[in-house]
Amino acid sequence: MMILNILLDSLMMFVIAYLTGFLYYGLYRNITARFQKRYGPPVWQSFFDSIKFFTKEESTSHGWMFYLGPIIMMSGAIMTLLSIPFFNSGESYKGVSEYGNFFVVLYLLVLGPLGNALGVGTGGNPFGVMGVTRGLSRLLALELPFYIAVIAIMSLSESADIATISNSQTTLNAVAYPLLFIAALFSFIGMMGQAPFDVVGAPVEVYSGPASEFSGKFLALLMSQGAIFTFAKLVLMVHLFLGGADGFVELLAKTFGLFLFVIAFGSIYGRFKTPQSIDFLLKVPTLIAVFGLILATWNLQ
Amino acid sequence: MDLSLFGLGAIVLALKATHLANFFALLIAFSSVMVMFISRNYKLPKSFYALFLLLNASLFLIVYAADYLLFFIGWEVMSISTYFLLSFTLSKEALHKYIIFAMASALSMFVAILLLYSGTHSFLYENAAQSFAALDAFRAVVFVLLLLFAIFIKLGVIGFHYWLVDAYEEAHNIFTSYLSAVLSKMGVYALIVLITQVLVSLTFELSYTLAIIGVLTSIIATFKAIQEDSIKRLLAYSSIAQLGYIVTVLAVADGMAGALYHSLIHTAVKLLLFINIAGIVLITGREKFSELGGLIYKTPQSFVLLLIGIITLAGMPPLGGFASKFMIYSSLMDAKYLLILAAVMFSSASAFLYIYKLIYGIYLGHPTNKKLESVKEVPLSFLLPQYILAFVLVLLGAYPALVVPYFNKILLELHLKEMAFSDYATLISSFGEYNGLVIISAFGAIFVTVLFVFVNVHSKKKEAKDRFDIAYCAEEPNEATHLHYGFSMGKELRRVAFISLIYKNSVKPFYDSLAKQTLNVSEVLKKIYTGNLISNFNIGVIFAIILLWWSVK
Repeated sequence: MMILNILLDSLMMFVIAYLTGFLYYGLYRNITARFQKRYGPPVWQSFFDSIKFFTKEESTSHGWMFYLGPIIMMSGAIMTLLSIPFFNSGESYKGVSEYGNFFVVLYLLVLGPLGNALGVGTGGNPFGVMGVTRGLSRLLALELPFYIAVIAIMSLSESADIATISNSQTTLNAVAYPLLFIAALFSFIGMMGQAPFDVVGAPVEVYSGPASEFSGKFLALLMSQGAIFTFAKLVLMVHLFLGGADGFVELLAKTFGLFLFVIAFGSIYGRFKTPQSIDFLLKVPTLIAVFGLILATWNLQ
Repeated sequence: MDLSLFGLGAIVLALKATHLANFFALLIAFSSVMVMFISRNYKLPKSFYALFLLLNASLFLIVYAADYLLFFIGWEVMSISTYFLLSFTLSKEALHKYIIFAMASALSMFVAILLLYSGTHSFLYENAAQSFAALDAFRAVVFVLLLLFAIFIKLGVIGFHYWLVDAYEEAHNIFTSYLSAVLSKMGVYALIVLITQVLVSLTFELSYTLAIIGVLTSIIATFKAIQEDSIKRLLAYSSIAQLGYIVTVLAVADGMAGALYHSLIHTAVKLLLFINIAGIVLITGREKFSELGGLIYKTPQSFVLLLIGIITLAGMPPLGGFASKFMIYSSLMDAKYLLILAAVMFSSASAFLYIYKLIYGIYLGHPTNKKLESVKEVPLSFLLPQYILAFVLVLLGAYPALVVPYFNKILLELHLKEMAFSDYATLISSFGEYNGLVIISAFGAIFVTVLFVFVNVHSKKKEAKDRFDIAYCAEEPNEATHLHYGFSMGKELRRVAFISLIYKNSVKPFYDSLAKQTLNVSEVLKKIYTGNLISNFNIGVIFAIILLWWSVK
């Protein structure tokens, strides 16, 4: 019975994240279009594109590991989604989040991309591997300020459980510890693949990064996981700093607000070079995070 | 053991099978069995096996000794037998490096032990804390420094790792796995004995110093590993980095559980990885990433086994590596070493780069050299130990608390806080819990579902014709195009100011200048100690007079 509950729960979470993710992506294309003084595509265009890709007649594969790459990435994205509860309380929309903790989620966030990196490597396309290398190099710099910020948050709420962290915020963490929030936001912009840290796919610069060798239904799967993964990351950030949510309206409002900020930031800045982005992330946000951590734990004692 | 028969009535020596000793003995025994699996593929002289057994005997003496004298004898025999085992394949320079460092380690350990003995005139561990308390402040500091120096050399802590990387690279493929899996653990064991038996509780300064040394070791070694082209050198640095985590976690109050868990995981992983590499080197005869590549479809079993190994090495959730990382992170959280924890996690995230390079460089991409295409799967004797080790790692992933009752016995014996667990699948720390079985089965279920749906999506799959059938900027790559990009992975990190600091600096100049100074000193000494019989006699007389004067005074 419990397993059945979890299954139903997970299915609902999947559907919601899938649709919301694509909706957000459609809105993202529209909003950036307005920034550039043009009209974007219809809101559901990306969704229809992914469906179209699924039904393409042919897609080139490079053997079984290449075939499994996008599947691992999709599984990683769904697993991340299910490890983060949607709401602060209540019995539903929890997935398997009670069986894991924040450390698990931190690793799950990179599990999918790493699994796909294996597929990219098998394809043997140098441009794909170039994207992976850029991604991994950026990852280490991206994670440092984020780790410092979330370690401080975990230490302050004395738990690594996501629901407990979001419930323990009497004043929002973003307000109470602004420095930590700012530092984590820098990393978050990178995690969402937005400028100035969008060195992985780097459109127009590298051929097209990790996705370059994937076509047809492989690409469709990668697009779909992107939608789910985006939503999962937004929910995580809302839980950590914005006090979580108690209902769908609050959840959507908070995630969309955060999303809007991230894409607005992304559309007004240019792109760093890979070493520049690493250098920047290791300097400015890391310093902010360290200060934030010292200030926050100072209060504690 | 009573030594009064030999006229040494005052010295009491003892062997004791504590739970801690049993744990390390188990690691030694298990690893040597695993290593012996692959020995039949090499033609080794008989003396190799004899020395290997001698080495094993000395390791057992180290762990079962209940006093510092037997411990030291074991340590010394270990160093010497390792020297002879290394001498089969090592170049003269690497061998010299090893023996100089090993002797420095043994010597400083010996002086430290004698210092401790001066406390209560006993070598026994049970009196060690008393002896240490009896030392005056200066001697206590010297004792700790000397013993840590000895241990750091064995662990290869950064700055003292100068011998290690060369020795790992040039050692026989059988022996490298053993060096990394077992011999480095003796450093861990010595550190545990020092902390639990002698110091009992670390002072704040010592604890922080150890933690910082540990974390610096793991960060620097991780970045050094990223740029290596030689597989064994990369894994050597990786080994240093992993031991850095253990040093860090041992420095905090409740870190013992994490240290033991990580020792176990590290032993299993490094055996798996080095045996895997040994197999690849055997069938291809190459040891560099730039010369390998694209072996996945030639040796699929080795690929999957290495994949299990690297997932564990990275500490990814579904497998055993996560359990030990979780323990380490939790104990650092508990101790409120927050910045240290962030640094540990940073090093752990940076490790993804060399971990990806490891699997990409060997198995993925397109080989630069076409001769590799005739390669077949590695012999069964290589696969068998890897399957056993992979099984252990997957099992620990699903049931992370399976070893906890056993660890709790050790912790109880050392009067430390026990690990909590509700069932074999759930590991609990004060910061949260995680259920390995649910995580691994949920991930498995999602994976199978996605795979099933994906296979059934209406779309034909077309297999690529050959290695040039890729999307390549609308151009066609040919034989001359370099497709194996990833072996130069991490080059751009050199352009980052912070990280290039690590690459630009090395301990080599320091040790070179030390060697030069030593040579200069010996030049001066040669002028006095000419080897001439008469002057030797004169020096002897002067020395005797000084000694006499000093003893009378």
